[in-house]
Amino acid sequence: MGKEIPAEKSLNLIRERLCDPTFVFRPLSASSDSNYSKLKFIVSTSITEGCNNSILLLGPRGSGKAAVLDLVVGDLLEEYPDSVSLIRLNGLLHSDDNCAFKEIARQLCMEHHLLFSKMASFDENSQFIIAMLRECGLAHKTIIFLLDEFDMFAQGKQRLLYSLLDAMQSVTSQAVVVGISSRLDADQLLEKRVRSRFSHRKFLFLPPSREEIDSLLEHLLFLPADSSFPNGYVSQFNEKIKNLTSDARFKDILRTFFNANSTVNSLLKFIFRAVSLMNLESGLLSLENFKAALSSIQRQPKLEAIKDCSILELYLLVCMRRLEVKEQSSYNFISVMKEYKTIHDSFQTSDYYAQNVCLRAFEHLREREVICYAENRGQSQTGEYRLMTLMISASELHQGMRSHACCPAILLKLLDH
Amino acid sequence: MAPSGTVTDHPPSSTTDSFNSDVTAENDIRPFFVLHKASSGSSLHGKSIGTLKSKRRIESPTPKIAKKSEVESVEEEDGHFFSTLRLKVFETVWSKIEKAIEDVLRDSNSKIFSGIHDWIRESFESIISSGALKLSEAVRSYPVLTQASSKQLFTALVLTRNLEMVDDLLTFEELDLYLKSQGCHVAKLSSMDFSAKSGVGGCLRGLLRQFVMPTVDVADVTILASWYRENKNHENPVVVIVDDTERCCGPVLSDLILILSEWAVKVPIFFIMGVSTAHDAPRKILSVNALQRLCASKFTLSSPAERMDAVLKAVFLKPCSGFTVSYKVALFMKSYFLCQDGTLTSFVRTLKIACLQHFSLEPLSIMLEHFCQDHVNQLSGEDTGLLTEATMKHSFDLPSVTRNKITRSTFEMLPQFLSDLQRMPNPWSIVVLCIYEVGKFDKLRLLDIFCEILDPEAHYLKYFSPSEIVNCQSHNSGRNNVIRRVLRKLRDLSPSQLSSMLKSWENLTAEFSEINDKVMELHPFMRSVEAAGQRQGLPNSPKKHTSRSHSKLEKEVKAMTDKVAAVIEFMLREYMKPVETIPFHEILCFKNVDKLQSALLGDPRGKIQSDLLESHNILHCMCCSQRGTTLLPSMHDTSILYTLAQEHADVINLHDWYQSFKTILISRNSKAKQKSKSSSKSKKRKDICEEPEVPAEALIQARFCRAVMELQIAGLIRMPSKRRPDFVQRVTFGS
Amino acid sequence: MAREESSKVTRRSTRSSSSASVTVENPEPNESHSPTIDDLTFGEESITLDALLSNFPGRRSQILDFIRLIGPLDCPILPIMVYGSASTGKSSVVLQTLRHLNRPFVYSSSRTCYNPRILFESILNQLLLHRKCSSNGYSSAKRCDKPSDFVNLLREALSNVIGTLDSASGKGKMVYLVIDNVDLIKYWDKGSMILQFLFSLYTVLKMPQLGIMLISGLPPDVYYSNMGYTDPLLLYFPEYSEDDLRLIFLRNQANKKLYSAFLDVVLRPFCRVTRRVEELSTTFSSLFRKYCEPLDDLGVSPNEEMKRRLYSHLKPLIAPCLNEIFRVSSHPHDGDTRGERRQKVNYSSETREELEVLDFHMSSSAKYLLIAAFLASRNPATLDASMFDSTGGMDNRKRKRKVSEKSMEKKEIAEQEAVMKGPGSFPLERLLAIFQCIASVGDSSFGEEGEEEEEDPTGYDRESNNLMSDILLQVSSLCDANFLVKSGSCPLEGSIRYRSMVSEDLALKVARSLSFPLAKYLYRR
Repeated sequence: MGKEIPAEKSLNLIRERLCDPTFVFRPLSASSDSNYSKLKFIVSTSITEGCNNSILLLGPRGSGKAAVLDLVVGDLLEEYPDSVSLIRLNGLLHSDDNCAFKEIARQLCMEHHLLFSKMASFDENSQFIIAMLRECGLAHKTIIFLLDEFDMFAQGKQRLLYSLLDAMQSVTSQAVVVGISSRLDADQLLEKRVRSRFSHRKFLFLPPSREEIDSLLEHLLFLPADSSFPNGYVSQFNEKIKNLTSDARFKDILRTFFNANSTVNSLLKFIFRAVSLMNLESGLLSLENFKAALSSIQRQPKLEAIKDCSILELYLLVCMRRLEVKEQSSYNFISVMKEYKTIHDSFQTSDYYAQNVCLRAFEHLREREVICYAENRGQSQTGEYRLMTLMISASELHQGMRSHACCPAILLKLLDH
Repeated sequence: MAPSGTVTDHPPSSTTDSFNSDVTAENDIRPFFVLHKASSGSSLHGKSIGTLKSKRRIESPTPKIAKKSEVESVEEEDGHFFSTLRLKVFETVWSKIEKAIEDVLRDSNSKIFSGIHDWIRESFESIISSGALKLSEAVRSYPVLTQASSKQLFTALVLTRNLEMVDDLLTFEELDLYLKSQGCHVAKLSSMDFSAKSGVGGCLRGLLRQFVMPTVDVADVTILASWYRENKNHENPVVVIVDDTERCCGPVLSDLILILSEWAVKVPIFFIMGVSTAHDAPRKILSVNALQRLCASKFTLSSPAERMDAVLKAVFLKPCSGFTVSYKVALFMKSYFLCQDGTLTSFVRTLKIACLQHFSLEPLSIMLEHFCQDHVNQLSGEDTGLLTEATMKHSFDLPSVTRNKITRSTFEMLPQFLSDLQRMPNPWSIVVLCIYEVGKFDKLRLLDIFCEILDPEAHYLKYFSPSEIVNCQSHNSGRNNVIRRVLRKLRDLSPSQLSSMLKSWENLTAEFSEINDKVMELHPFMRSVEAAGQRQGLPNSPKKHTSRSHSKLEKEVKAMTDKVAAVIEFMLREYMKPVETIPFHEILCFKNVDKLQSALLGDPRGKIQSDLLESHNILHCMCCSQRGTTLLPSMHDTSILYTLAQEHADVINLHDWYQSFKTILISRNSKAKQKSKSSSKSKKRKDICEEPEVPAEALIQARFCRAVMELQIAGLIRMPSKRRPDFVQRVTFGS
Repeated sequence: MAREESSKVTRRSTRSSSSASVTVENPEPNESHSPTIDDLTFGEESITLDALLSNFPGRRSQILDFIRLIGPLDCPILPIMVYGSASTGKSSVVLQTLRHLNRPFVYSSSRTCYNPRILFESILNQLLLHRKCSSNGYSSAKRCDKPSDFVNLLREALSNVIGTLDSASGKGKMVYLVIDNVDLIKYWDKGSMILQFLFSLYTVLKMPQLGIMLISGLPPDVYYSNMGYTDPLLLYFPEYSEDDLRLIFLRNQANKKLYSAFLDVVLRPFCRVTRRVEELSTTFSSLFRKYCEPLDDLGVSPNEEMKRRLYSHLKPLIAPCLNEIFRVSSHPHDGDTRGERRQKVNYSSETREELEVLDFHMSSSAKYLLIAAFLASRNPATLDASMFDSTGGMDNRKRKRKVSEKSMEKKEIAEQEAVMKGPGSFPLERLLAIFQCIASVGDSSFGEEGEEEEEDPTGYDRESNNLMSDILLQVSSLCDANFLVKSGSCPLEGSIRYRSMVSEDLALKVARSLSFPLAKYLYRR
C-alpha cells in the first residue's frame, strides 16, 4: 500500500481520529477543573484508600461521558496495573438481572483466568461475585463497575444494583460503581433501598464552549508535521484549515449547525461528513465540503416522504387534509374515498382510479408512515374501516407539495380551498 | 340385531367425520342450535316428531333400543342368515358404486393436474434458463442481483368452485401425490400452519419439516436454500400447496410470500393456492406488497354440479349396480344437494345411507347381487331356492306386485320378471342420456332431468299435447320443467347443433336397435336441412328473416325439429317406464324418504329438547310413563328443571326456579295430583312454610345445581351475568 | 472453551484461504464446499465504477456519496443508515458498491431473519465462515439469541476474521456489516429494544474495524421515539423520477427504439399512480406483450405511423390496467372454457366484474345465511322488528315504505356513522332469526316457481325445513370463507359475535341468484 497518495493518507488519518473517542477527548480533559480530572481524583483516591464509592455521570447523548470515563480508567490501569480490575456492563445488553450477573461472572473469570461455566445458575453467579468481591477486597484490589445506560438497570427490580451496593456496604469489599446515563433524573429512578446505599456524587457533562470547539477542531484537523507526509503538503493543508476556521462563512456554518445539535459527537459526525467529501485530487478541505455536509446533515424526512408520493397518493393526502379541515374528527379509508369521489365529481380530475388501486396507494402511504392507524385495537375490522390520522402537519404538506416535482395545480388549489 | 346395528353406527360416523373434516374449529357452536321458526310452523312440527321416532329406532346408540328394533325386525325376516347375507351383498354393491364414483372424480381432475404440471415445468425451465447459480451465490445471504424480475413467485390459483372445502381436500391430496410422482418436491400446508400465534415461523417450520428433516432447531430459510443445493435436489422445482387460502391468517401468509420471494431465484418455489370463492380472493387476504410478488395464473376445477352429473351418470345410468332410488328419494337428494351443503361428499354419504337402509329394510334386496354380476340370465333355481316361504310371501305382498295383479300362481315367472327388471334400465338410461344431449344446449343439469324422468305419474308426457307445444313456444311459463325446456330449446337449435346432436344420439343408441332405427330415420331430414343450409351459406341461427331461401331453410329446420320432438316423445312413451311402475321394483329401488331424511339431518338441538321434555320415553321407567302433565319427583332432575323452565320467559329467576323445583321434589304425598307444572308463586310459599324439610335442603340444592350445570353444558341456558346475578338466561325457546 | 473454539475457526479459515482460489472456481454442488474468507466479498470479479453507475440510472449522486462515506481502503467509518421508500435500489446499490470496492462484508436482511436469534446467528455464521448443511444437521455455528451473548461472540468472530484478512491480500482490515429492512424490526416483540441495540452497536462494540450499514425503508425520524438512539450518518434514496424510470426500463431491452416508443405511451399515466419499479415492471411486461402483438418481427424500429397504429391497438388496454393491482392470467391448460372471457374481465375494472354470474357454488341455505348476515350487519338491530315478522316478508311492502321514510329523515347521520363503524357485529341468535324470516320468504317464492302446483307437497316444504337444519355448519363454512368473521369467545356464555365481510355487490349477486329481493330489506342510506 505504499503507492497511496498523501491525500488518502491524510483522509485516513483524520477519519481514524474522528472514530477514536479517546483521541478526541484527550484535549478537553486537560484542564484541572474538567470532569476528567475530578473523576480521576475520586476514583484514584478510592483505589488508594481502598474504600467503596459510587458515581453517576450524567449528560446528553454523545457528550463524551463514556469516552472520558475510558480515559480515566485507562490511565488508572496504567498507574495501578495490578490493583484495578474492570467490569463493563451496558444497560442495553444486561438490563435483565440474570444475564447481568452472568456477564459479571464471565468477566471476572476472564480477568482472573478462571473457567467460566455458562450453566451456572443465578444464585451461583451472585454468590461467586460476592466471594470475588471479598477476595479482591482482601487482596486490596479495586473492582470498578462501569454501568453504561445506567437508567436501564434502574428499571425492573434493580436486584443487580441492590446486591452490588449492598455488598459494598461491607468493609472488606473494595469496589467503585460508575453509572453513565443520559437521563438527568437517573438517580431518582432508584428504589429507596438502593438509593440509600448510593452515594449521590454526580458529574454533569455540558456541551462544549466555543473555544473548546475551536481547539477541538484544530486538534482534529491539523496534520502532524513530523509524519511521513511530504511536508509541503502538510503545511499547505494546515494553512488551508487555518484560514478556513478563521473564515466567517465557516463560523456561520458552525453556528447554524450548533443551533440544531450541540454535542461533541454530532460535531464529529459533521466533520466526518465534511472530511469524507474531501476532494482527493487537491487533497485539501474546502468550505464547500462543510456546506455540503451541513445540507446533508439537515434533513427533513417528512418533506422527502411527500416528494416521494405519486400523484394519486397526494390526492389521498389532500382528501384527508380536507376532511380534517371540515372538523371531521376521525375518518377511515371509506370516508376518504367518498371525499375523493366528491372532488372528482366536482372538478372532473383526470386521475380517478378504482378503489383497489387507491387502497394500494393508501397502504404505501402507511408503510412510509405518512399516515397511520389512529388506534391499535379494532383488528377485527378490515383495513378500510379502521380510523386513520395524518402524521404530517398542514404546513409540511403545503411545503412538500410545492416542492413536489409534478404536483398538479388543482391539488394545491384543493388544499387551500 | 345386525341390520339395525349397522344402521346405527354408519350414519353418525359418516356425518361426524364430515363435520371434523370441514368444521374443526367451529364445532363449538353446535350447542347453539336455535330454531325459533321451527317451533311456530305447526305442520313441520308434526313431521319432526315423526322423524324423531323413526330416528330413535334407527340411530340411537343405546343397545337397549337396538334390541327393541331387532325384536320388531325379527318378525319380518327370519334369523341372522339373511341379514348377514344382505350385508355381504351390500358390501359388494356399495364397493361397486364407490369405485365407479372414484373413477369418475379422478378422471374429472386428471386434465387439470397435467395442466398444472406442464405449467410448473415451463416456468421452471424459464427460471433455469436465466442462468444457473454457483453454490456460493445460491446459499449466500444476500439476493441475486443479476435478474431484473427476480422477486416474482409463480403461483397457481386453483379455483375449486365450491364454498365448502370437503370435496377438494381429497383433490389436493391427489394433486400432491401426482406432482410427487412427477418428481417435484411437494409440501402441503393447510390453514392450521398459518396461525397468527405461531407467526411465519410456524409455516416455515412446516415447510422444512416436510422438505428437509423432521426436527429443525430454528426455522430459517437458508436451511431450505442449502438443502435445495444438496444432492441433485436443485434439478426439480419446489412446490408448496396451500389448499384453503381463504382460511389462512392473511398477514402470516403475506410474510411467508415476501420471505420466499426474496429467495425466489435461489429456490424456485411454486405456490399452488386452493381458492374456494372468487378468483380475486387473494386480493382480499394478502397485503399489497405480497400481492405484488405473485405471478398468478388460474386453473379451474370442474364445478360440483358438473361432477354431480358425472357421478349420476356413472351410478344410475351406466350399468353399475342395479340399485336405484325412487322419485321422492331423488327429489330429496336433489334438494339436499342444492339447499344443504352442496358437497359431493354429502351426496355420496346420502347415497350410501340410502343403499344401506335399502338393504336393511328390504329382504328381497339380496337379489341385487345378481345385478352386480355381469352374466345376465343367471337367475334360476338355486337363487330362488334362497327365498324361503316368508320372503316369497313378502315378495308377493309388495305393493307393485299387488298393483299389477300378479298372483302366487305366476310364481314361476318371477325369474322372468327379475330378468326384465334387469334389462329394463338400458333403454331407459339411453333415453335419459339422449334428452340430456339436447338439454346440454340449454345448460340443463342431468340432475334435474334425472329427477323429473323418475316421476312415476310421468307428468312430462302431457307436454306433448299440441296445445302445450303451442303455448310453450309462446310464453315461458314453468321454466323449471325440464322436458318443456328441452322441447323449447329444440325449436331454436341451429342446423349445426342439430347435426351434432344427431351424431351423439347415434352413438348413444348404437346398441339398442329400436331407438336407433328411429334416429336413423331422421337423417334424410337432416340432410335436406344441411342442403338448405348449403344453399345459402350456412347461417348459424334460423331466426333471421332475410331471404326466401332462408325461409325455406327455416321450414326445413322446423320439420326437422318436429321430427326430433316426435322421436323424443316416442322414446318417452315407449321406453320411459319409470322404475316405480314395474313389478318387483322394490327389490332394487329405495323409496323410504322419511327414514333417509331422519338419518341424514340429525336435528340434535331439537332432539335434546324434546327428549328432555319426555324423558320417560327414553328411560322407560314405569313410574312416570303414564303421568299426564304432572311432574313427578321420580323424574330425572334435569328434565324436571327444563320442563319448569318452559313456563318462564327469556330469563329465569334462579330463586323461583329453585323453589318450584323443590316443591316438586319434597311433596311426594297428598297433593301430588294438583301439583301441575304451572305451579304459581303463592302455592310455593305455602309449601315452604308448612313443610320445611330441613335435612333434604342441602341435597336438593346440590341436585338443583347439578341439573342447572347440565342444562348449561347442553347449551340450553346461559349462566348469570354480572349485572343480574340471580337470573339465568334461556338460550332458546323450546322446540 | 471459547478460546479453542476460535482457534479452530482460524485454523479452518486459514487452511481454506490458502486453497481459496480453487474452491470458488468449481462449485460442485454435491461436495460440501466449505466457505472461505473470499466468500465475505463477492466471489466473482468486481465491477468498474462506470458499470456501477450505468447499472443504476438516477442513482449517481447516491453512489458517489456512499463511496465517499466508505472512503479508501481500511478507513474506519461511523455507522451509516441508508433510507428511502421501497424498491428505490437501496440494497442493490449498497451491495454492488461493496462489490465494486471489493470489500469483505456481511449481509443479513431482517426480512429473511424474522427474529433476533436468526438474525444474530446468520451474522455470526457468515463471520465464522460456517454454512448450514446436512452434515452439520443444518445447525448454526453458535447458539445465540441474546444481544449480550451476541456482542461477545461478535467480538471473537471479528477479531479472527480481521486477523485472517490481514493475511489475505488487498482487502484491507475493515469488515462491513449490512443489515437490511431494519424497519421490520419495529414489529418484532421487544423490537424497539433490538433497534436501540443495533443503533448503538458501534459504541457498544468499540471496534472501529466494523463498519455498520443499516438499510431502512423508513425515514430516521421514525426511530427517534426509541431512547438510546444515536443518529447515524444518513444517506437518502429518493423515488425515481420519470426520466430515471425511463432509463431503468430501457436498460436491458432487446429493441430499445420499440420499447421507448412503448414507454412514451404508458410511462406518464402509470407514473401518476405509482413510481415503484417492481409494480410498474410487472404491469409493463404484460402490456408490452400486448403492444407487440401486431408486429411480426420485434427487431423492427418503429416509424411514426406504426407507432400510431400500435398505440391505437394498445389504447383500450391502458385504462383497465391502471385500475388493476392483481392480474390473474388464465392458463391455456386450464380446463375452464370461460377462461379467455375471464381473462378479459380481469383487465376490465373490478366494478364491472362479471356482475351477472356467481362463479362458485353455494348451497342455497348458505346463500340465505350470507344475505342474512349481510342484512344483520348493515341494518340497525332496532329495525329488525319492523323489517321482518314471523309471518315472513311477503306482506312487508307497506312496512318497508314506513321504514324507508324513517330512513329518509336520519339518512346522513346513519350514513356517517355507518361509514365510520363499518359493518356492525351481531349475535348468532339475531342472525338465525333474520335467516329464518328471509328463508321462509325465499322458500315460498322458490316453491311457487319451483314445483308444479298439483305437485305433492313433499317437494318443497321438506326443503323448507331442510333449510333449517345444519345451519351452524353453514355458519362455520361461511366463517372459513371469510364472509363472516367472528369475535370469538366461549360459546357457553354466548358472548360470541359475528360480522359480515361481504361486499355489497357480492351480496347482490347472491341475492340475484336466489331471485331474492335484497334491496327491499336493505336499510337504505
